[in-house]
Amino acid sequence: MMTWPVAEVDAIRRLRVLAAAVPGAVVAEATYDAPFAQVWAVAADLEHELPVYLPDVRTLRITRREGDRLEAYARGYAGMRARFDIVLRPGWCVMRSRFLLGGMAAVPDGERTRFAFLSGVHFPGQRALAPGLTRLGRIASPHVLNRLAEQVRLRS
Amino acid sequence: MNEDLVRVIRAAQRGDGLAMAELLDVLTPVVARWCGPIALQDAADAAQEALIAIFRGIGFLVEPAALFGWARTITVREAVRVARRTARERPAELPELPSRDDPMLAVDIGDVLARLTPEHRAVLMLRDLEGLDERAAAELLGVPAGTVKSRLSRARDNFRKGWQA
Repeated sequence: MMTWPVAEVDAIRRLRVLAAAVPGAVVAEATYDAPFAQVWAVAADLEHELPVYLPDVRTLRITRREGDRLEAYARGYAGMRARFDIVLRPGWCVMRSRFLLGGMAAVPDGERTRFAFLSGVHFPGQRALAPGLTRLGRIASPHVLNRLAEQVRLRS
Repeated sequence: MNEDLVRVIRAAQRGDGLAMAELLDVLTPVVARWCGPIALQDAADAAQEALIAIFRGIGFLVEPAALFGWARTITVREAVRVARRTARERPAELPELPSRDDPMLAVDIGDVLARLTPEHRAVLMLRDLEGLDERAAAELLGVPAGTVKSRLSRARDNFRKGWQA
């Protein structure tokens, strides 16, 4: 039987697409010296680990879970409270509140793991703010990747 | 097109990131299928660039029902552009496109594709995977119908020569 070639579009490529489509969104990427299961166990543990690797979030509570769809409420240190709609499945997570968009993607690379983190803000007028938001994201994202690496190391 | 998908498209057009992610789930497999035969070893890059072009332009899609045809046009053009950029094709020994029922196609599609230019691969994919006729393929590639016809016929002859050699 004839088998046509099909492109392999992994989760990190898909996260890059999302970042390119949302004005002001930024993707930062890193390769961790840990297997996929270990990295994703930390990244996907949103209630316990997200407040550790995302410096702005104090608590996150999941209030609903239906398949890969979640609803969560997050509290920030400045007292801000936000409801998030989340898609979470192995190697892929996208979180959206009224103003914020977050995303994570992980792809196994032998015994290592390629990981990407997306941060963005979406609200009316965002296009005008996009260059500033992009700069902010570029500064903040490497810290998130480093904190996550530290959490992965601590759990191993 | 079902109502849920129309809602997702409309939300993505308003800049809703979660809706964009949902639409990405729908479009990624088809874009991957379109890019594979055209861009070959560069297919993953081509698919990523095609998806970026699709999502950056999603606001220009007037009729949600036209999503797949619109996305296919963008994808085929991006895939040809990416494949041409790397210029790994072997135009000197350009073979011709085999006919739809040619047993040679079934033997080794990878070998057939490797002998064609990106444009020929696009025509072959549009014809055999998407069921387009020459006029539609021409429209999609942005070339006059006659050009596609001659590309098809030239590709067919060269392909036969390649296999008979």
